[in-house]
Amino acid sequence: MTLFKQMALLLSLFLLIILTTVLILNFQSANRGVQDRLYEDAKNTATSLSLPLGGANGDLSIMSTMINATFDSGNYRKILLVDIENNILYERVLESDIIVVPEWFRELVSLKAPVASANVSAGWSQVGILSVQSDSTYAYKQLYTILIDLLISFIVIALLSLTALNLLLHAILRPLKEVQKQAAAITKNEFIIQENIPYTKELADVVLGMNNMVSKVKAMFDKGNEELKAHKELEYTDENTQLKNRKYLIDRLPAYLKVDSPYEKGVNMIVAFGGIIEANEKIGHQQVDKLLIAVAEIFRKSTKDINDSIVARINGTEFSIFLPGYTGSDAIELARSIQKSCFNAIDSAGLDQHETFISIGIYEYNHKDSISELFSRSDNALAQAKFNREHIHLEKADTAVEVMGKEAWKLIIKNAIEKNRFNFVSWSVIDTKNRKLVHNVLSIHLVLDKNSSYGYAQFMAPAIQSGLSCDIYKKIVTMLFNDSHTLLSTSTYSLRLPQEYLEKEDTYLNISDLLRANAAMLPFKLIIELPDRLVRQDSKNIREYIELFRRYSIDIGIFEFIGESEDYQYLQDLRPSYIKAESSYFLTQSDQSISSLRLITDSVGISLIAVGVSDIDTLDMIKEKGVYIVQGEVTETLELA
Amino acid sequence: MFKLKVLLILSLLFAYTTLADAPYVEDSLLEKINNKYKIYAKKRFILLQDTLDSVRDKTDIEKLEAINDFYNEVRYSSDMKVYGKSDYWATPWEFLGKDRGDCEDYVISKYFALKYLGVDYKKLFFTYVRSTKFKEPHMVLTYFETPKSEPLVLDNYNRKIFPASQRKDLTPIYNFNGDILDEIGDNEKSHKKWDELKLNMQRKKI
Repeated sequence: MTLFKQMALLLSLFLLIILTTVLILNFQSANRGVQDRLYEDAKNTATSLSLPLGGANGDLSIMSTMINATFDSGNYRKILLVDIENNILYERVLESDIIVVPEWFRELVSLKAPVASANVSAGWSQVGILSVQSDSTYAYKQLYTILIDLLISFIVIALLSLTALNLLLHAILRPLKEVQKQAAAITKNEFIIQENIPYTKELADVVLGMNNMVSKVKAMFDKGNEELKAHKELEYTDENTQLKNRKYLIDRLPAYLKVDSPYEKGVNMIVAFGGIIEANEKIGHQQVDKLLIAVAEIFRKSTKDINDSIVARINGTEFSIFLPGYTGSDAIELARSIQKSCFNAIDSAGLDQHETFISIGIYEYNHKDSISELFSRSDNALAQAKFNREHIHLEKADTAVEVMGKEAWKLIIKNAIEKNRFNFVSWSVIDTKNRKLVHNVLSIHLVLDKNSSYGYAQFMAPAIQSGLSCDIYKKIVTMLFNDSHTLLSTSTYSLRLPQEYLEKEDTYLNISDLLRANAAMLPFKLIIELPDRLVRQDSKNIREYIELFRRYSIDIGIFEFIGESEDYQYLQDLRPSYIKAESSYFLTQSDQSISSLRLITDSVGISLIAVGVSDIDTLDMIKEKGVYIVQGEVTETLELA
Repeated sequence: MFKLKVLLILSLLFAYTTLADAPYVEDSLLEKINNKYKIYAKKRFILLQDTLDSVRDKTDIEKLEAINDFYNEVRYSSDMKVYGKSDYWATPWEFLGKDRGDCEDYVISKYFALKYLGVDYKKLFFTYVRSTKFKEPHMVLTYFETPKSEPLVLDNYNRKIFPASQRKDLTPIYNFNGDILDEIGDNEKSHKKWDELKLNMQRKKI
């Protein structure tokens, strides 16, 4: 219960008790007043009637007339005249009650009209005693009116008081609400500085304390951000040509050489300079460096319109131009153009084309290739190029004999989508420090029949080729929300959503509808993993997704992180639960880079997770880098606490 | 059962003796009167107690005469002179302490003294009368042997007790007995002056 509710309840109760007490006391006082009045009336009548009764000299007919006259003209319950031996001389009693108040009121308020008496005497002799009792009917009516008036006043005063109390409490506790907002923001790693310092001293101290803490954490984040940016610049950039370096290329390649890569094929072009030693002797190091810068510019210009292309300097004399989605024939065209431009540059540098020349090895890769295969086959192509006349050589990846043709796959996948032939499987993510399961990563199998099924790696590539990958994701996201009971565990699950699916036109609406209908019933905590490339674009699209997930208490994770961003502010803005990066990424980072990254993530409460950790040796190396949460084959061998 | 009855009778006898022995003027009261009104007042009260004691076992008439004679010795003075009020019902302690008072003060003191002596209070009435001789309102104490018998009049103007029929100088207006009225009603209040007097009696106002 909030402090406001507690205070409001307590004060309202207090107020109502006071008002009720006042109401009861007022009513009791009115009751006493009315009873006193009843007695006084009776007493006055008794006294004033006793004197003329005495003057009747004991004539009962005169006395009864006098009593009748008094009784009929006033409100009396009873007038009784008894003689000195207590015998009734004359009596008048009210015969019927005039009902002027509800029955419950008469039962609730016991009103007893007192009897007032006076001696009656004629001359020196005693006649008797006159007793008068007023009728309480009108007293009841008076009291009932008083009660109704009191109740109306009570309700009006109570309403006004409660409204005033509510307003007062809101005014007093407004600063506390701001403080609470700030504290809640800190809990969610949203760091806001409170500009309005409350006037209440205790609250002001808390706000100043939190502001101070937030400023420090923000400063930590900014420092980490600056340091990481600086390291990225050093680690991924070739100092001389300002092109990316070999390390960058290696960190980026896993995103393309994978089963669900958006590009099935592509080209890796290695451009190598021959005769650089001679060139150095002829025109000097400085001029050669200028030549290399000019060549780098040629590469940049030549590839600027090619999506996702990477130009990197691999070593002193070799460059890699990585072109996802590019074909060998197009690459040869491009290589010729580059070669021509480079020769012009060599000429301009005053060098001989026969002595200083470039060779271009082109390898048309397949996304199933490993990084080492890509490099060795590219090197082969370059070696061939060095010896042929044109100095350009194209080598293609081995065409594996597919068990099934494209059309057969397409048919199976379409059929699977229609007949719900997908099953969820999960992989565990382990915190090796505490030996605890962090969450389960969901993947899917395509189940053909009882005996045969295909893994994600098997059917996803043909699905992408057939343009069915988005349909598969649409299917499994629907499955996740509608058939979530098929998942046994009630812990936390993560599901990775690829860029092409998220960018598809109807995906947002589809997910939005599913969440609205099913999010409340999900039996587990869900984390949606989004690709770093998409997240760091900070587009309207991704912001809408994140807002949507937050609305339904679904956490965000980032995958395929290689720290490529120019600014890491987006991590603070979006505050994902964790960042997943290939284990090779963590292993190739310098200690300073890792330290800066940790400064950023620790300050906003983001976990670092290494994926693809296949063996204990890799795990040990990853741990040395300070990353303790891992995903990969190694998790199968770890025992949990 | 027999033992219980004996015990009950003995208890009642003891209570009666104790009550009968209780003085009208207690020592503590005497002391206060001495402090306030000095020694002569104290002597008056001792004399009152002696008078009461002397007629304790006498007839009602003897008691009436003794009390009437005793109080008629007190000097008459108006309430305005003694208390600064137009009408004030003084307690027997104030009346005898100051040794002066007006007609109702005589009546009150006589009434309570006779009540103390065991005269049935139902026989005694405060009677409002008109004095034809002085042409002014007056109050006397009347004693009714039986409810229907002719009352005896205890007056401070005429110091002797006479049957009412012999008091041609008095025209009766109204009889009043607060104790009787208190018995009938279920309210603590019955008569303004009587109520005030009861309160002063409880406080033993001197």
